[in-house]
Amino acid sequence: MASVTSRQTLLLYLAVLPAPTFIHDPAWLGAGLALAIALAGTGRWRLLKKSLLAILAFNLTASLGVVIVGLWRGALDTGWLLTANLRVLLMAYLGFWCVARVNLLKALQAWPTATLVAALALGQARAFERLIRDFRLAFASRTPCRPRLGDRRHHAAAQAMALLDKAQAQSTEVALAMRSRGAFER
Amino acid sequence: MHIPDGFLSPQTYLPAAAIAVGAWGWAARGLRTTLDETQVPRLAMTTALAYGLGLVMLPLPGGTSGHALGIALLALLFGLRTAFLAYSGVLLLQALLFGAGGLTALPVNALAMGLAGSATAILAFKLLRPLNESLAVALAAWLAVMVSAALIALVLGIQPLIAQRPDGAPLFFPFGIEITLPALLIPHALIGLGEAALTLAVWRYAKARKWLP
Repeated sequence: MASVTSRQTLLLYLAVLPAPTFIHDPAWLGAGLALAIALAGTGRWRLLKKSLLAILAFNLTASLGVVIVGLWRGALDTGWLLTANLRVLLMAYLGFWCVARVNLLKALQAWPTATLVAALALGQARAFERLIRDFRLAFASRTPCRPRLGDRRHHAAAQAMALLDKAQAQSTEVALAMRSRGAFER
Repeated sequence: MHIPDGFLSPQTYLPAAAIAVGAWGWAARGLRTTLDETQVPRLAMTTALAYGLGLVMLPLPGGTSGHALGIALLALLFGLRTAFLAYSGVLLLQALLFGAGGLTALPVNALAMGLAGSATAILAFKLLRPLNESLAVALAAWLAVMVSAALIALVLGIQPLIAQRPDGAPLFFPFGIEITLPALLIPHALIGLGEAALTLAVWRYAKARKWLP
């Protein structure tokens, strides 16, 4: 049941996502964003903050460019600024809302190849994040003084090799586990 | 160089989606027969590396970003189809988990970085390998970054021409090719050097462990 719900949510998200690209009125985009926020439940403000942070750098650079060009020409396009930023924020919000509600692996169960790729990539991405954090903490604990450039270089090289070896070992375990569940049967 | 959601017009992303779906179908065909328990861990490791590289992004003027790809690594180690599919998975995860890129922009991002990047890397490597293998790997990686960046710049740069308000103002990405091409190509020429060094290092790692045919 849970997998059906995840899949349905994912399909609903995929169906709704293009809508903001067909709307060019900032009032409607704002209303869509307000509706999405209202329907998002208790995590709505956390999702909004996450969406704002995700789009901040890119939208800021694009918007600044438009502002500079507008001021240069003496005609600032506030309509574009409002529409584009609301559209991008709404689409980012819908994405994070969907991810918060959907178990991606369950949603992809109907497509074995997609599940295989997603399982491997997700597992590896999380393993990499954990390993990098462990290495950073270990390096910080071993170097009470400010590390020299050579120390950093040696650390980076050692970390890279260890990461690759450990990641391969971990993914070998994943592959064996998947094999035992019939993932490689043809 | 991910294009975020909301900057591409439907006239761009819908045809791109149709092309990408066909390309993903082509790439997935036979994937499960070529991947076995020795290839899968290597692919997973390299894919995760590409995923990590793609997350270290530098915002560039005009609303996109600069980052290493790792696509040449995937292409040289696993071939065009597998690299394209694996990199599409990377882009999907980055879009869903971090909002880097987006689902409407995914087809364009995947075709430019995953497919064109892979094809460029493989072609450059095959052409240059007889001269010097290390040079071939490094140049393949650099060229893959540059071709991907050029394609992204072109797609972004044509947006003001194909989606306008009645007064001629752009509806989606606001800057033309004269801005997007230098804004993406100049930083990526430098990023590509780092990508080339990293690709060469992992290529040597793979060679030392006898992964290569």
